[in-house]
Amino acid sequence: MPLPLRAARTALLVTGAALLTRRALRRRIDASPLWPLPALEEPISGQPRSRALTLRVARHERVAEGVVQLRLEGGHLAALPAWEPGAHLDLVLPSGRVRQYSLCGDPEDTSSYTVATRLIGPDEGGRGGSREVHEALREGAEVEVRGPRNRFPLLDDTASYVFVAGGIGITPILAMVRAADAAGADWRLLYCGRSRASMPFLEELEKLGGAEGRVSVVAEDVSGRPDVGAFLREGAQGGAGVYVCGPEGLMDAVAGALPEGCSLHLERFAPAASAGGGSAFEVELRRSGRTVSVGADTTVLAAVRAELPDVPYSCEQGFCGTCQHRVLEGEIDHRDELLTDGERGDSMLICVSRARGTRLVLDL
Amino acid sequence: MSNTKARLPQPVASEHIPLKARNVSFSWESTPLHWLPGDPFTTHTINVLHLLLPAGERWFVHVYKQVLPHIRDERLREDVIGFIGQEAMHSQAHDEVLPHLREQGLDPTPYTAQVDWLFEKLLGDRTLPPGRARHWWLMERVALIAAIEHYTAFLGDWVLNAQELDRRGADPTMLDLLRWHGAEEVEHRSVAFDLFTHVDGGYRRRVRTWATAFTALVFLWQRGARFFMENDPTLTDGKASFRDFRRSGRAGTLPTTSDMIRSIPRYLSRAYHPSQEGSTEQAVAYLASSPAATAAEARAHTNGAA
Repeated sequence: MPLPLRAARTALLVTGAALLTRRALRRRIDASPLWPLPALEEPISGQPRSRALTLRVARHERVAEGVVQLRLEGGHLAALPAWEPGAHLDLVLPSGRVRQYSLCGDPEDTSSYTVATRLIGPDEGGRGGSREVHEALREGAEVEVRGPRNRFPLLDDTASYVFVAGGIGITPILAMVRAADAAGADWRLLYCGRSRASMPFLEELEKLGGAEGRVSVVAEDVSGRPDVGAFLREGAQGGAGVYVCGPEGLMDAVAGALPEGCSLHLERFAPAASAGGGSAFEVELRRSGRTVSVGADTTVLAAVRAELPDVPYSCEQGFCGTCQHRVLEGEIDHRDELLTDGERGDSMLICVSRARGTRLVLDL
Repeated sequence: MSNTKARLPQPVASEHIPLKARNVSFSWESTPLHWLPGDPFTTHTINVLHLLLPAGERWFVHVYKQVLPHIRDERLREDVIGFIGQEAMHSQAHDEVLPHLREQGLDPTPYTAQVDWLFEKLLGDRTLPPGRARHWWLMERVALIAAIEHYTAFLGDWVLNAQELDRRGADPTMLDLLRWHGAEEVEHRSVAFDLFTHVDGGYRRRVRTWATAFTALVFLWQRGARFFMENDPTLTDGKASFRDFRRSGRAGTLPTTSDMIRSIPRYLSRAYHPSQEGSTEQAVAYLASSPAATAAEARAHTNGAA
């Protein structure tokens, strides 16, 4: 066969094959745009740790001396993410400050969130967040929130509950009391504050407590300091779940007087992410077989880097998540805004978080 | 040998700045499904970013954490540390868009589960023995990232200059996400290439990984755009074609085909250095005015100072 003819035949065959392949491929693709890649069985993407929502302040009202309650509504949303008693929201205030506030509304209400905050002046160690909530978040203002998250869940593993609230610490406890009461559980509440006028939600709580005297209110200006020991001896039967939210002193008093068999659940007024600051402790790096000490004014990351210079990190402010490491032993003082409650059980961001006790063991 | 020296990559020193992650946050509830009004094709073609980036940039971080011990240059180490945090935030920010799409009736999970597989399994650590095999695979992935970053910088530069998106009333939150991300991509555009040059730099590896990355990007992108168009609950017969792509390119709502083709030989040139294209100054200027980046700045300031 002469050469040009042979070339023409080859060209024809190749074109034909290409056309057929293209048609077959196109059919296949049209039938299923997702042919032919395998998929991860438990997808990771699309489940962010938290989501930001912009909510509108629908109501801003004074509910006690120095305490305002905000009702935040999500106009565009069909339903706000659900929450359970003990949960809190992160509010991103207009200045950029991020503050945590416990939800104290009705979990069934999916159209709004309710938080209450007490004005804390600079003389009491306030850093301006509560002042902003009181003054800048007027009705109609928009505010970005993250969450809700729950570090203080109400467990249903006990037959009876004892709640202790100090001052504005009543906010998570209020939702818990309502839930315990609605479930028909046996519960008691000790609610202390400086004066009745400064204590929000008194009326509702006393009504819930009813004639059985489930609620003891101690206003310091009239009755002095509460006798936590006596309250617990009388109120906490063996096996009760004890839930406390309030100032450090109150929580220490409850922990010290806890009757045997009771479980203790604390909600601290944790400061927002602030690097450094705190007490010194030791960190054992189990895999490398070394121990480093972390000073009061330095971070775990800095101490670890001195020994292991290639340990990954980046933002050093607790938001990028690069320095998340597994914790094998020790209680963690989480100071980041990133990790989920699940992750907090056995891991930490070593750039900002610290030890609650004197020792941590890291898987490093 | 005098001409090899002239052809070595020449970084533009003035384009280098220290990198830091920004704690940005975007809320999506008021962003419509078609955030570029009346143009579902362009919307969804750009939306493919939300499908690829959460898993992809998580993978960048995963690989770079492993490469840290191989870095012998302190300034490059600083750059890589900053790069890691920026990429981690990009991944988180795009990941938060996905539930919003799901709520609007466009569930991305069938697609993202495949992208997750691609980056977690196919491009994962593959339980290799320590030694040559593991090192080879790490270097291959470092080179892949350098090639992908050539395109992220290209897209970042494009989106910073895509005035047509503003003119057509694109959703401001989405535009800010894209431009914050684009600006950081331009800001750190040299890091991946510098790292690759530092730890390996082989030209054959550069060409090979470029070919892989380019093919994969084209494949994944067209597939993602078609996936969105076909599953968009508001479109009855949603299709995505190359013709639509060219049309959007001409209109200025997507990069033009010819710009994309012209970027290929540039990466393959032996004299290429990422600092030769894009403008750090423009990126920094955008970041100084971006609502999300300025809010992040305020947050870092008030919370850090407390």
